[in-house]
Formats: sequence, C-alpha cells, structure tokens
Amino acid sequence: MARAAKREHAGEVVSLGALFASFLKVSLFGVGGGGGLVWARRIGVEQRQWITEGEFADIVSLCQFMPGPNIIGIAVCTGARLRGARGTLAAVAGFLLIPWVVGFTLGVALLQHAHLPVLRNILGGLSAAAAGLLIATGIRMLMPHRGRAAALIFAGLAFGLMAVGKLPLLLVLFGLLPLSIGVAGLEHRRAR
Amino acid sequence: MSAASAPLALTAHLLVLSSISFGGFPTVLPDVRHFVVTTHGWMTDQDFSQFFAIAQSIPGPNMILMMGFVGWKVWGIPGAIASSMATFGPPCAMYFAAYRLWYRFRGAPWQPTVRNGLVPVTIGLVIASGTVMARAADTGPAAAAMTVAVATLMLSTRLNPLWVLLAGGALGGFGLL
Repeated sequence: MARAAKREHAGEVVSLGALFASFLKVSLFGVGGGGGLVWARRIGVEQRQWITEGEFADIVSLCQFMPGPNIIGIAVCTGARLRGARGTLAAVAGFLLIPWVVGFTLGVALLQHAHLPVLRNILGGLSAAAAGLLIATGIRMLMPHRGRAAALIFAGLAFGLMAVGKLPLLLVLFGLLPLSIGVAGLEHRRAR
Repeated sequence: MSAASAPLALTAHLLVLSSISFGGFPTVLPDVRHFVVTTHGWMTDQDFSQFFAIAQSIPGPNMILMMGFVGWKVWGIPGAIASSMATFGPPCAMYFAAYRLWYRFRGAPWQPTVRNGLVPVTIGLVIASGTVMARAADTGPAAAAMTVAVATLMLSTRLNPLWVLLAGGALGGFGLL
C-alpha cells in the first residue's frame, strides 16, 4: 500500500485542500446513480495517482458491503488513507458542502418547473451518457483481473444475476461472496 | 403528532434507516416513502416521486439531497439539514471504522484471499448497475446508441468524461435522443 504514497511526489503529504477540491469535483461531475464512481477513479487513480487501481477496488468493495450512500464511502476511505481522520473530514466536506447547497437550491427551483419538456430531454440525454460512463468504468476496473479465470467468472455471475436475473442486491452479494472467497482460498492454497 | 416532534421523528427514523441500508440508500426508499406518505401524511406520493426524479438528475450526492427535500417538506431548511445529516452520518462513521480495520490488517495472509473473492463480485455489480441505468435511460435506439458510443469512447481514449456528458445533455435538449 506504500507504493501509491511513494508515487505522490516522494513522500510529500497530500494537502487537505487538495482532498477537499478533488472530492468537490467528484461530487459535482457525478451525474446519476454511480456517477461519482467514474470520477473518483479518474481523479484518485489516474490523474492524482493518490491510490493504486488495487486500493481503489478494495475501497469500493469495502463500501459495497456497508449501509448508506456508497460513493461517500470512497471519500471517507481515500481521505483516511491519505491523511487519517482529518483527511476524511476534508474529503467528506468537499464532497458534501458546496454540492449540497447548490443541488438543494437548484432542486427547489426545479420543483416549480418539473414538467418542462426541454428540461426532461436534457436530463434524459445526460442519463444515457452517464450509463455509458459507468459501464466503461466497470470494464476498466476489470482489466487487472483479466488473467484470473475465477475473477472473470464471478464478475460475470454478479453481473448476470443483477442485470439479467434482477435479483435483489443483498441476495447476490451474500450468495456469491462465500463461493467467491472460497474459490480464491483454494487458489491460494494450491499456489503455496 | 405535534408540529415540533415531526422533524425529530423523521430524523430519528432516517438515522435508523441509513444505518441498515445495506446495498445503498435506494434499498430503504420504499420504507421512507411508507413513513412520510402513508404513516404520517407529510407529503403526497407525487411529491415523493418528484423529489426522487429531481435528485437523480442533479449532480452531487443524490440520496442525501433527496432526503434533504423530504426534510424540507416537513420542516423547512432546518429539516432539510437534519434529514441530510441523518442520511450520511452513521454510514460515514461505519466506513471510517471499517477502513481503519482493513488498513491495519494489510499484509495479513487472509487479505489477498478475501480481496480476490470480493473484488470481482463488486466489479460485476458496477457493470450491472451501468446496464440497469442504461435500460432506464435508453428510451429509444438513439439513446441506446449514445450509451454504447460513450462506453466505447471511454475505453479507447482518455477523453474527459465531462465532454460526453455535455454532448449527451445537448443532444437530448435538441430532442435528438
């Protein structure tokens, strides 16, 4: 895990302001369900290189198994990883404060005009593009695992049960996990 | 229920729900709806679904924002703030504690095993939620083509995603999707 920290300008500490600003971006650019994920990966892994692809996948997985709005969990964990409790506060504040005030004001204004057709068309186009972004982010996350057959199989199963089988998320999670971890355990034992 | 205790009841209820909303806050939305529409009659069904639609289309923390609208309906701005905090407070504390634990045990022999089991399932679910969103958003062949084109473009280039979002919004606004 020290690899990402080293890459960050040889031990230079990430500033709280940079955390605030980055998660402000993640929040404002993330349209639609899961939109924040697209930007958190792009900014945290690709641009700033604060965390590795592997750490990002760890964080997303960890958050997936806990209650609440998962995307904010990425802010909590990335902040904690880089600067401890203060980092978490900075990332969460960046994620929430300004976007909440802007979104709330905009929302209350929009509620008076909710039925304008132009508005609904724009929102429709936005969500079609946002869906494509989310699919691409998932495929990018899968790339480091493409050499492991079991990983591809379990990713495919999770996708199929959820998107095609339309089973509830909790059922998919807790049904697949013991199997998936069990298979990974067998692989490790064989490798040893 | 007296006027003063309504925001308290709502906040307390949201604190509980956010703590048990495994799989994301949308999983407890039916319960929120039941509480605020059916049980207490603080708003109509139509209000509730409008809050959902608006929160979904505004960038930012959607579900926290949506609970802000719900709280606003019950008790104005203070209600909005209290409801929002009740939605993200308990989960944030849990994320923090869990990550500290995970990080403390980095390098433990069981961690690669758990990771190799956990991560592929997560990735499958991410791609699934993309396609579930696409199914809701792609009302015609043009919108579906947009989704596919965006995904392909993002995989083959380093283009800033903001441009494709803008393009999607513009094409939609001109009635082309």
